[in-house]
Amino acid sequence: MISVVKVKIDGKVVEVEPGTTVLEAAEKAGIEIPRLCVVPGLYEGSSCRLCLVKTPAGRLFPSCNYRVYRDEEFLASTPDLWEMRRVNFELLLKFHRIECWACERKSSCSLVELSKELLVDGIPVCSECPLPPNECLLLKGELCLGMIAQSGCNAECLVSGGECWGCRGPITREDILERAFTHYRELGFDVKEVIGKAEIYWNSAPGFATVKKVAERVAGRG
Amino acid sequence: MNWTLLDRCCEKCTHSPEKPCPDYIECRLSGPLCHDDERCREMRRQRLEELRYGEKGAKIKVPMASCTLATGAEAVYHAVEDAVKNMGLEATITISGCHGLDFIDPWLELSAKGMPTAIYANVKPSDVPRILEEYFVKRDVSRAFALKERVGAASGEDKVPLLGELGFWAKQYKWVSRNCGVVNPESLEEYVASGGYRGLSRAFKLGPEATIEEILKSGLRGRGGAGFPTGMKWRITRQQKATPKYVIANADEGDPGAFMNRLLAESDPFRIIEGLTIAGYAIGANQGYIFVRAEKPLMAKRLQKAVEEARRCGLLGKNILGSGFDFDIEVILSAGAFVCGEETAMIAAIEGKRAWPRQRPPYPAEKGLWGKPTAINNVETLAHAATIMAEGAEKFAAIGTEKTKGTKMFCVTGAVKRVGAYEVPIGTSIRVLVEELAGGAPEGVKVKAVQIGGPSGGCIPANLLDLPLDYETLQGAGAIMGSGGIVVIGHENCMVDVAKFFLTFTSAESCGKCIPCRVGLRVMWSILDKITKGEGTEEDLQVLRQVAETVRSASLCALGGTAPNPVLSTLRYFMDEYAAHIREKLCPALVCSALIKYRIDEEKCIACGQCAMNCPASAISKIESGKYRIDESLCIKCGVCYTVCPVKAVYKVTGARAG
Repeated sequence: MISVVKVKIDGKVVEVEPGTTVLEAAEKAGIEIPRLCVVPGLYEGSSCRLCLVKTPAGRLFPSCNYRVYRDEEFLASTPDLWEMRRVNFELLLKFHRIECWACERKSSCSLVELSKELLVDGIPVCSECPLPPNECLLLKGELCLGMIAQSGCNAECLVSGGECWGCRGPITREDILERAFTHYRELGFDVKEVIGKAEIYWNSAPGFATVKKVAERVAGRG
Repeated sequence: MNWTLLDRCCEKCTHSPEKPCPDYIECRLSGPLCHDDERCREMRRQRLEELRYGEKGAKIKVPMASCTLATGAEAVYHAVEDAVKNMGLEATITISGCHGLDFIDPWLELSAKGMPTAIYANVKPSDVPRILEEYFVKRDVSRAFALKERVGAASGEDKVPLLGELGFWAKQYKWVSRNCGVVNPESLEEYVASGGYRGLSRAFKLGPEATIEEILKSGLRGRGGAGFPTGMKWRITRQQKATPKYVIANADEGDPGAFMNRLLAESDPFRIIEGLTIAGYAIGANQGYIFVRAEKPLMAKRLQKAVEEARRCGLLGKNILGSGFDFDIEVILSAGAFVCGEETAMIAAIEGKRAWPRQRPPYPAEKGLWGKPTAINNVETLAHAATIMAEGAEKFAAIGTEKTKGTKMFCVTGAVKRVGAYEVPIGTSIRVLVEELAGGAPEGVKVKAVQIGGPSGGCIPANLLDLPLDYETLQGAGAIMGSGGIVVIGHENCMVDVAKFFLTFTSAESCGKCIPCRVGLRVMWSILDKITKGEGTEEDLQVLRQVAETVRSASLCALGGTAPNPVLSTLRYFMDEYAAHIREKLCPALVCSALIKYRIDEEKCIACGQCAMNCPASAISKIESGKYRIDESLCIKCGVCYTVCPVKAVYKVTGARAG
């Protein structure tokens, strides 16, 4: 019985026990492979397909449940793998009810982390806001654009005590905007006022028309 | 009950269910083998003739398969019963499966001693007394569809073609479907009389290793779609140390337009049972399962009946044919999800779990049903295996191409004159199948493309019809062999709409386990929907292609891995149609309702009022000239006026002309 096998991942060789998953071997080699669904010993159904790795022959396997029993080589960071992960992750986000301002998991959200890693846009600044929910600036009547602004800045303005001005551009997904504007109204803000503030940075931003369209729709509900 | 071939001929026969004789099968046809008695030999000869012409010397065969039943075979059967009683005919009425020639359904086969066997096509119950009188009383076959042979005893024989000479029959190679439409699918005796179970008894004589060797030598590859060498699969499963092992017959045929497995199981179920028994013997399994789609109830019933019959005759159970091999089969009904045809999902379903596929490896050959080594084969593959064991590997290997041997059943549907299931050598060109066997497109229709391999297959354009049908060529062209369904698409179909149709199916059938398939197919569907509504953009096309590629490579199982094929293949061959929808907002085939308008040609209109009478939206009204006109603001584009107009004065316009 072989007691140790050599796994080569992105050129790095690690020695592991036979039956180790490629993901575990990669961790040992210090290589980060994105994943969402695997909980070792509980769920290894390879549903999220983000942890796919490639053999040199081009066959794809999920690293979370592919076990190595002999010396094998894998590629985990080729441009096409990252591209596939990005498209796949965007698909997942497409039907995710993004409502970071109201989400309990925002401080430990794998979707937010992955969206940064995969350079996927579309998650609001609220996901990065350092303030606890009960200290949200909106509750204090301060007009913050965090709900409708693109994240990725690590919420620097909020960290330094100010509110969000949306300098990274608007969210363009209508369902998120719809929920955000509804929330603005629930908190007593005038939708026109929100748009007025947004105009400062977004007047010529490509997605601003969508924002205004949704805002008008929400405002028109009376 | 009279003596049948399956019974002992005399006291000297030592066969009994407790102590089966290894030569039992061989002895049925060429026996008796253990003793010499002219009377026993004569009994066999006589019984074989009875099977051919019925006990009374005349036989009427009514096909009873789903396809013939749908066209009224049951009513024909009752009409035959009544007519035989009324006319006082001495004839046996029996049932059979279907030839696969759906365009002659329901048919009737009449045979009598000294008469040529005649097939009558498209029989209506009211025709039955006339047909029976012509054949049995007047001995006139001039109105038959085809004869099986000419004997020169009936009038009109020269006027009727021989079945074997007809193009769609002569160009087929009836290997695995040889018994379809010929034997009674509910009679084990007829199966044995037609040469059945010789394969199993030969396998027992060769031993399991040599049986696998024989299958390897034949070059048989899985007929379910992927084309994995069957002998290899059996060998890997046999080599596994874990026990017990299992064999599963995949009869979960779910592709729209594919019915070869149903046809086979309804017409010749014992061949599948024999093949599964051989597979069990070869890999060392004692339990087999047949996983049948519940939506094909007759198929399930026939298989269940065949299993019971084989068990009763000692061909399933303990110590089969004295070989010391025990084997039994359970027929399992699927819950009807398309994904159940995927082998790992099927295993989960048999285990009573939710039918979710799981990642391979481990392959079922290593860890399958209940975590034990399991060989899963398509029913057509198993039927092939039984036939190969009976006829010898060389004969099978002599047919087909360099890489893929043998024959394959294909179902041709859609825009063809002769819808049906045809068995041809692998490597036959699509053109031969579509134009020569299925008769090509009906009058006035031009073939635009063929969709091969069901919803997971691809659309191949008409100019590539000369491609040979084999696994590698089809894959290279962007389609798959799949189970062998071929849908012929006429020029009046929009390819974007066709791609959307298949995605509607696959996105609904996605099990939802992995992201690319669950979400990707939905996203692709909505883009196609946008395009067919004339709202698509160039960017949408890019996204469509990108998502399709991701779904294809990242999905967990073959359902997701192949579902983008209709989109990718239409993008490859019919880009002009996508471009027309996006850039010019027109549907060249006049299908996508958002991009077309209905008009009435006043020159042609005969003012009959049919259109206005049938219009559900009351959008058509009489104008001053007495003719009719469509109010476009009210029109819901249902197309009823287009269908009902007796002079084809209603026409469709698209693009700029629809203004």
